[in-house]
Amino acid sequence: MFPRKPTNLIVAALCFCIVFTSLSPVALAQKKTAPVEATPPPLNERFKFGEVDLEVLEQADLLDVRFERDGLVLADESANAYLRRVGQALLPRDLVLERVSWKFRALRDPQPNAFALPNGSIYVTTGLITLIDNESQLAAIIAHELTHVMRRHTYMHNRSTRKKFLTMNVMQAVGAASPLSLVGAVITVVTTVAPFIMMATIYGYSRDLEREADHKGIDMMISAEYSPEEMVNVLKVLDKDIEGENIRLFYNDHPALDERIKYLSSYLGARADKVTHQMELNRERAAYFRNMESVMRHNLQLAINAGRVRSAVYLAQRLVDFHDDSENLFWLAESYRMLGPRAPQLTEKELTNSAKKDAAKKREKRTAEEEERELLATPAGKDNWQRHQQLAEELYQRALKAENPAPVVHRGLGMLYEKLGRGSDAAAEYEKYLELSPSAVDRGRIQRRIEVLKEKLK
Amino acid sequence: MRSLVLKIFAPVVLLAVCGSQPVRAQFLHPKVKSKETTISRIVVLPAKVSVVRDSMKGPEGMAAESDELSARVEAMVAEVLSKKKHVTTLPNTAASAEADPQQKYNVADFQTKFDDLLPKIMKKRSDVKKGRFSMGDEVLNLNLEKGTDAIVFIRGEGKKLTGGKTAFRLLVGGTPAYLRLQIGVVDARNGEVLLYTDPILVGDPTTAVDRLRSALEKGFKKLPEVKAL
Repeated sequence: MFPRKPTNLIVAALCFCIVFTSLSPVALAQKKTAPVEATPPPLNERFKFGEVDLEVLEQADLLDVRFERDGLVLADESANAYLRRVGQALLPRDLVLERVSWKFRALRDPQPNAFALPNGSIYVTTGLITLIDNESQLAAIIAHELTHVMRRHTYMHNRSTRKKFLTMNVMQAVGAASPLSLVGAVITVVTTVAPFIMMATIYGYSRDLEREADHKGIDMMISAEYSPEEMVNVLKVLDKDIEGENIRLFYNDHPALDERIKYLSSYLGARADKVTHQMELNRERAAYFRNMESVMRHNLQLAINAGRVRSAVYLAQRLVDFHDDSENLFWLAESYRMLGPRAPQLTEKELTNSAKKDAAKKREKRTAEEEERELLATPAGKDNWQRHQQLAEELYQRALKAENPAPVVHRGLGMLYEKLGRGSDAAAEYEKYLELSPSAVDRGRIQRRIEVLKEKLK
Repeated sequence: MRSLVLKIFAPVVLLAVCGSQPVRAQFLHPKVKSKETTISRIVVLPAKVSVVRDSMKGPEGMAAESDELSARVEAMVAEVLSKKKHVTTLPNTAASAEADPQQKYNVADFQTKFDDLLPKIMKKRSDVKKGRFSMGDEVLNLNLEKGTDAIVFIRGEGKKLTGGKTAFRLLVGGTPAYLRLQIGVVDARNGEVLLYTDPILVGDPTTAVDRLRSALEKGFKKLPEVKAL
C-alpha cells in the first residue's frame, strides 16, 4: 500500500541524524619528510547552535546508543584504542569544540565505509579497516570524517535541506492549485520540474561538502605528518569494486571516485614535494596489519555471512601473505569453500554499470543457494566449484599442519566433506572439533549435524 | 478546478473505501499449514521499528520514539500470540546477552541475516507457502532455551505527520501517517521461514495502540491456534 520510494532513502539519510556516510578514500604511501606549511584547523567559527541543530545532535547521541546496544560496535579495545590514537594525532592540540566529544570506533560491517556523527563519533567499518593497507590510509579516512565534524557539515546540510524541502512543498502546493489555463499549464510544468532541480541542489551541496572534507583532510594529514598521497591511494583501493556494487546513480551524494582521485592528485601536485621511501611504507604496512589482524579476521566472518565471498577471498589472501598462521589459512580456506561455483573475480563485462545494476536486481530476487544451483548447472560453475573445493581442502590441511592449529579448522573440513558427500569423514571432523573446543558457541549446531549425518549413514 | 477537487477528495474517498486499517496478506509454510510443525513456544528478537516525523521542511528523525515503539510492538506481538493463539513467549536471548559480546554478536548477525533475506521475501512473499526461504542451521548458534519452536523477527517503518504536513496532504495528496510492519517467524531448529505477515495501520504510529493490536490480530489470523493440553 505504501511502496518504498527512492525518496525514502533520502528521508532516512537526512532524518536519521543526518549521518554523513563518506567512503573516505585515503591513500598512503609516504610520510612527509619535508617541513610543511602550518595549515589552520578547518573550523567553522561562525557556526552557532540553533534549536534544529540541537535536535539533530540528540538524534546522533541516540544513534550512538543504538549501535552499541545492537552489537554493531566492535568490542575490541585494542582496535578502538588504535583508531583513537590515529584520530587524536590528527586533531589540532587544545582543540575544544562546542558539543563535540570525540569517539573513534570500529563498526561491525563488511561493507567498506566510514562516517561521522555531528557529536564527534567517528565510525570506520571493519570492511574498510580490512581493505586498506596502512596507518596513513586510515589517517586519511579519519581526517576526512573529522573535517565533517569540525566544519559542522551535518548541521549545515540539514539546514540547507530543510529550506529546500520547504521550497519544494510550497511549489507543489502552488502546482496543485493552478488554474486550468495556459498560465496554469506553465505553473504545473514549472512546479513539476522544480523538485528535480531541488534534489539536484541537495546532492550538489552534499558533494561540495565531500570535496571540502577531502581537501581539508589532506591538510590535516600533512600537519600530522602522515603521507598525504595515501588519500589518493585509498580512493584507488575503493575503486577496485571487488563485488561489483559501485553503481552510478542519477543522483550521488559523493563525487565519483575517479573524479576525487583526479582533483586530489592535482591538489597534491601543488603541495607534496617529497615522499617517503617505499621501504618505510612497507614497515608502516606491517605495523598496521599487526595492529588490526584480529579486526581483519572478525571482518572475514562478517563478509562470508553477508555473501561478500569474493571480497573474503581477496582479503584473506592478503592476511595469509602477511602472516600464514593456522587461523589466517583457515579463513582463506573458508573463503574458497564459500566461493563455491562463483568466479573469484568479476569480468570487465560484469563490471559495467548496466551489468552491475542487473546483478543487484538478481541479488534481491535470488537466495545464495539458488544462485549456487544456477551456477552449478553451467560448465564454468562446475569447474570453479571443483577447483575451489580442492583449494579449500589443501588450505585446511595446511592450517592443520601449521603451528598451534586452530580447532575451527576441523569444523571447516567437516563442512567441506559434508558438501562433498563424505558423510563419515565429515562426522569425524565435527567430532574432533567438539573434542578440542568443548565450549564452542556453535556446539549445538555441530552436534545436530553429527546426529543427522550418523542417521543418514545407518 | 476539477483537478483540485479530484486531488482533495480522491484520497479521502480512497481511504474511506479501504477502511482505516488495511491488513496485507499472510503466508504460511506448508508444514505449518498442514500442522506438521506447531508453533507453540517462541522467542521474540528485539524489534527494529523506525518512525520519522514528516514536516513541511522534510523528514525528521524520531530515534527515541522509534525505540519506544519497537518495545511496544515486541510486547504486543507476544501478547496477541498468547491471547489469540495460546503461544508462549520464552525469555529473550538478546536481553541476557548484555555481558557477553560473542552472544550479542550472534544475535546482531542473525538479525542482519534476516534483513538480507527480507527483500527476497518481499519480492515474492507467496513463495513462503512453497517453503523457499531459510536462514540455515546457524539459527542453532543462538543457543535458545530448549523446546523453542520459532523465532520472531519484527521490522517496521512508519511516518507521523505534523499539522502543516497534514493540511498539505489534503491539498496536494500523498501518503497518510502509517505504520507498516514486516514480521517473519523462523523455525528455531532449521531456520526455515514458517510465516510472513506484513500488517499495516493507518494513523499516528506513536499513539494508535488499539489499532496496532487490531492490525497484529489480523496479521496472525491464519496461524493455527495451539491446542491446550
